Amino acid sequence: MRIFKQTSIDFVMHYRTFVTISVIYITLAVIIFFLRGLNLGLDFTGGTLLQVKFEKPVTTANIRQALTTINQQDAVIQKSSNVDEFIIRAPMTFATDSAASVITQALQTIPENSFETIRAEQVGPKIGKELRSSAVKAVLATLVVILVYISIRFKFEFALGAVIALIHDVLFTLGIFSIFRLEFSLSTIAAFLTIVGYSLNDTIVVFDRVRENMKTRRYNTIEELFNVSINETLSRTIITSLTTLIVVLVLVFVHGEVKNFSIALIVGIIVGTYSSLYIASPVVLIWHKRLASQKQLMQTSR
Amino acid sequence: MFRKTNIRFIIIGITLVLAGYALYWTFAYHSFSAQKLDDLRTQGKLDRYEKRIIRLGLDLQGGMHVVLELDLPKLVGSLASNRTAEFNALLQSAGREALVSGEDYFSVLRRTIAATDVKLVRHFSGRGYKNDEIIDNLEEESKDALMRAIEIIKNRVDQFGVSEPTIQKAGKYRIIVELAGIKDASRARSLIQNTALMEFVLVKDPQVTQNFIAAVDNYLRTGKSEELKTTSPKDSTVALKESKDKAMSISELLGGPEGSTPLSADSSDSGLVVDEEIYKERPFSSLLRNVGNQIGVPERNVYAVKKILNDPQVQKLIPFDSQFLWSAKPERLTTQDGKTENFVIIYHLNREVGLPGKFVTRASATIGSGDQTSGQPIVNMSMNNEGAKIFSKLTGANIGKQLAIVLDEKVYSAPYIRVKIPNGSAYIEGIGDMNEAKDLAIVLRAGALPAPVNIIEERSIGPSLGRDSINTGIRLGIIAFLIVIVFMFIYYRSAGLLADLALLLNVVFIMAILSVLQASLTLPGIAGIILTVGMAVDANVLIFERIREELEKGKTVRAAIDTGYARATITIFDSNITTLFSALILMQFGTGPIKGFAVTLFWGITSSFFTAVFITRTIFNWVTEKWVVKKLSI
Repeated sequence: MRIFKQTSIDFVMHYRTFVTISVIYITLAVIIFFLRGLNLGLDFTGGTLLQVKFEKPVTTANIRQALTTINQQDAVIQKSSNVDEFIIRAPMTFATDSAASVITQALQTIPENSFETIRAEQVGPKIGKELRSSAVKAVLATLVVILVYISIRFKFEFALGAVIALIHDVLFTLGIFSIFRLEFSLSTIAAFLTIVGYSLNDTIVVFDRVRENMKTRRYNTIEELFNVSINETLSRTIITSLTTLIVVLVLVFVHGEVKNFSIALIVGIIVGTYSSLYIASPVVLIWHKRLASQKQLMQTSR
Repeated sequence: MFRKTNIRFIIIGITLVLAGYALYWTFAYHSFSAQKLDDLRTQGKLDRYEKRIIRLGLDLQGGMHVVLELDLPKLVGSLASNRTAEFNALLQSAGREALVSGEDYFSVLRRTIAATDVKLVRHFSGRGYKNDEIIDNLEEESKDALMRAIEIIKNRVDQFGVSEPTIQKAGKYRIIVELAGIKDASRARSLIQNTALMEFVLVKDPQVTQNFIAAVDNYLRTGKSEELKTTSPKDSTVALKESKDKAMSISELLGGPEGSTPLSADSSDSGLVVDEEIYKERPFSSLLRNVGNQIGVPERNVYAVKKILNDPQVQKLIPFDSQFLWSAKPERLTTQDGKTENFVIIYHLNREVGLPGKFVTRASATIGSGDQTSGQPIVNMSMNNEGAKIFSKLTGANIGKQLAIVLDEKVYSAPYIRVKIPNGSAYIEGIGDMNEAKDLAIVLRAGALPAPVNIIEERSIGPSLGRDSINTGIRLGIIAFLIVIVFMFIYYRSAGLLADLALLLNVVFIMAILSVLQASLTLPGIAGIILTVGMAVDANVLIFERIREELEKGKTVRAAIDTGYARATITIFDSNITTLFSALILMQFGTGPIKGFAVTLFWGITSSFFTAVFITRTIFNWVTEKWVVKKLSI
């Protein structure tokens, strides 16, 4: 079976349009990001989360009433998908006494109802801060390692194209998280690094073909070289993206941590595929052309 | 060429056998009946299996992961031989600064002290003379304290009976505790976190306490702090009837709502239990009640009383050799007018410790049989000779007085000393239930932590959620896997089946590697495996697409396969190595959930080089060598 026969789509011709669209979206996303920030999860803000299952029906108001006794009436109480199960998020952490214990005791004051603690998480402010800084470090370290590796294996302008495409993908997904107020947690960082790795995968496959075609094929313009290379790898790009996408779509049905992780991945895979087709190559092209015109200028002035 | 294919098959065979051996233990372990498991355990052979099976992460089997940090300001404070309020404040402020800036506590302390003219030698003895010297010594002592804390927590956990606990040092002053299959997280939490510093302390003469209360009343009424010698300020006595219902409350920890200041005259709105008449006369006593022969504080007044006691002027009124501590549990009592109230008892104790708890050698939980404790859980303790001697002297010299048993700055009971106790035996009462008594006995036996430890991170998962997770994880994994397998077969026919075999083996290898590394399989780990399946299939897609291209160019099957693999391998290498880098960085980044994901991703991609490239190539070679293949099913 084949979905794609030999294609000859002109990817490079309209690159200005796509680059413009991306730049506009990302500018908007960055503005929204700075205005609204991210919906940071417990991992980064610090606080306490308790997931409890009650034996008998209970209302959110009952729970809030119980939390009032410990001054936590502002806690976020969320009904889970299971019957009589609630997720309580409180901003508090205590140094000496466990916040989870304190909340558990407060809930015990709800009359004639017992409950089981299904999940308890508490992250102190210090840890939250450390996690935030190491997350930023991890993303930056990955980008630097990639820049160096591709510069060695290919050429610097290719590394630049790849990294700009990656930054594009990360900002794009960050924008989605900011716009839709999706919870940004530790596992989201893992997802971002996976997106980085994945999107790079696509980009490198294209670049690898460009590198090969430079040696073996005759081409008139550099645009033609890129177009041919992208078209030749298109079948693989689409099929791989589809299979990975299917797999990740399945992951959305896992609850909790994994869910947000998969949403980030789905966005990332689509954007990653788009960026390796329409962003990475144009960057190399633009860089190349500027270099060429500079050379020409130098030659004419000489 | 033929011989080369043979060698390839031998390599594949060896790896498969190794993987099979690595996984054998897991399969064997799970196939054993409960009876057989028990037999192996008694023979001491189960250990061999448990060290080799795939371990499930806490999120899959339920359990708790706790990160504890040594409370350095409190530790340093407790090491000081001379503690003043200002010095304590200095230690605490350095602690807060370290928390905000994320620096090392001792470097902040060094800086803070250098900025003042504090001479540390006045506060610490036998630790050197220069400030820097003393701080170096304290730093060493703290590292030592951490190691001791780890030992003590290990000891406690062992006595509690948790299978395969992990208790390890993390960072400079942190301890990671992982307990699998814990059902009651609160209980485990207090077991590992309680400092369990027990002391026997004499209660102050009631007259001294009355004088203090009168002085505070006077100060609050007039705003002047002069000591008054008034007697019997307990007119507000309410006769109380004890109720069996001992509801637990945590107001003692938190105090009342922020707004309820005791000084607002409108007592009906403030939620305080105050008689207005008495309030005007004696603002402080009006918050207190006489419970038995003790000073009881209605729970709603606790916040107000704490606030008054913390007032700097009031602090000056507290006799220098005494301290106020609260009872461990509130008591539910009925007042004369039929209302039930929770009361907390406040004790006025000597500052000097009568007998430290370190002399306790044995502690056991039991049900009391004496007049007072009949039917209630108690903890019996016995001391070593040295302790018994001190205890005998202490009790002998103070007959008729109250001796409080203080644990972690909370008073459990304060019985009257009736006779001299020569044999060093004592018991603790006032304990919630039998489980608590058992845990208390454990922590008393294991000894007190050198300093309080704070929980800075905790994640606990109930066993039912863990079971749900593993079921959904595995079910979804299989669904994802099947979708990919079917797709590959439809799209690439026979070659697709080959890729499917590679995928299957890839999962087998990941599992084998996990069991060899003794890395735990977590939910994010399963996500990592599923994602690896997606990425490993990419390697085969790259190869097959390339072979198709070469075939279209008119190459023979054999040549197309050779070129396809040769070219695609470079691409696969370049594109996967960057994912390996990000997986490595994630492993360094290292907290629980992310690490699990990174580990499976890393090994999954590594083994996919072998399965998707090496193994499929070998089979292609073998087929084309054995038969003359004119048309490739791809």
